[in-house]
Amino acid sequence: MGLFDAQARSVLAFLADKRARKELIELAPRAGWPEAPSLVLEEDTALELGHPLQGSLAFIVWTSDPGIVGDGIDLVGPDVDAISQARAPLAQIVMVSGEFGEEYECYRELKDAVYGVKLTGVMARAMPSRQSFWYRVSREARARGFSLAHLGAALLQKLKAVKFVRSARIVFVTSGKPDLEALTAPARETGRIAGALNKMYEEMNYDCAECEYSDVCAEAIELKKIRERMVKRSAT
Amino acid sequence: MSRVVAVCGKGGVGKTTVSAILASELCRRGGRRVLLVDADHAGGLSMALGIAARRTMNQVRQEIIGEIKEGGSSRRDLALSLDYLMMEAVGERGPLAFLAIGRPEEAGCYCSVNTLLKNALELLAGGFDLTLIDAEAGVEQVSRQVMSKVDYLLLVSDTSAKGLKVAVEILDAATGLAAVNATGLLVNRLRSPRELESISLPPGIPLIGTAPEDDTIRRFDVEGLSFFDIPASPGVDAIIRSCVSAGII
Repeated sequence: MGLFDAQARSVLAFLADKRARKELIELAPRAGWPEAPSLVLEEDTALELGHPLQGSLAFIVWTSDPGIVGDGIDLVGPDVDAISQARAPLAQIVMVSGEFGEEYECYRELKDAVYGVKLTGVMARAMPSRQSFWYRVSREARARGFSLAHLGAALLQKLKAVKFVRSARIVFVTSGKPDLEALTAPARETGRIAGALNKMYEEMNYDCAECEYSDVCAEAIELKKIRERMVKRSAT
Repeated sequence: MSRVVAVCGKGGVGKTTVSAILASELCRRGGRRVLLVDADHAGGLSMALGIAARRTMNQVRQEIIGEIKEGGSSRRDLALSLDYLMMEAVGERGPLAFLAIGRPEEAGCYCSVNTLLKNALELLAGGFDLTLIDAEAGVEQVSRQVMSKVDYLLLVSDTSAKGLKVAVEILDAATGLAAVNATGLLVNRLRSPRELESISLPPGIPLIGTAPEDDTIRRFDVEGLSFFDIPASPGVDAIIRSCVSAGII
């Protein structure tokens, strides 16, 4: 069992349900949207996705199981051109399969790839502790046809450039808060695992009995193995 | 290219008024994106413009300190979070974004947070054409809390000996920091054109202009009206003219 396999399966179950209800669209990746960090002010904004007041959910899961993730972009809800409100909630889930060595380093590399996507006319802001991504799409970008297929393609490209990544799947959910709520449990679990992983590597001297992540380590056996490996390594 | 202008001077000489008038003019002209930073803990610029930051930088700082105390966030995560929180904190009006430093709420040394915060602010400012800082006092506060480098230091003084002395002291401190590229002095609230002749201007600070005492400005101040709505008046025009001719805006 991999570190995030349970959460990956929860997301897949959500997607299967949406597919069965015909509420899921597979987007063909549209590569080539120009890349540059963008500052988009309110007066230039056509659409905000994942605005702090609207709801946002963003997380990364990986698995070594090749059967779980295949390359692609899934969308539940409308794409940029079909959203009529100025703001909409957003879930952005990145699912990756591959061969993962040092877990902390791998997770960091994946996060760097995801956070490193900067598209022209699209301002991206991430808040890892809130598991939030907030995008502002400029009027110009929307007028030029910007789609989540562009964002998904850019994410896929960055992720596939990571040496240990075999395949990657990007899931966007724009359908509304109920669907975001359905994904809250795997998001929260993923956040807790990532938090424990961070703490393990960034704070070497801590007492497991006192640690606020002890419940996570008790649940995720892989975390316990990582900790044991680290302790063994530091002893030699 | 992003340019940073800091407005400094003794308390009460009208530096917040000057900042508000420049902000209003920049908004009226459009075409350039401007980041306004209210570095005065009292938050006067916010009141003068009637625009509020959603949160202050110090509240952002508190949240980051809270995250550090909680653990589980890497340094990279914290840096990313700052960009997010900063954007969440700004108030916006047309091409202007407004950020308030606010009052420090927690004692203690959080140098790494302060450095992260300053880096994030500098990164944010890099996306704007102009950053205009209404400073609480001297450049050292700007340098410590807001920006490492100031392209133009606009010193504002009234005709009082103390106001002019403080302007010199601010410039001296700024020279020590080696962070200022150009400086100019605006003498504000002149009661008559001849008043300028009666004062001794400090050597070494180029005079960029003067502005008369102005009833319209005073009325806006007293009644708490937004300077975005201020009409043309001798004081307003003089401040704008001086700053335009000095290449500040």
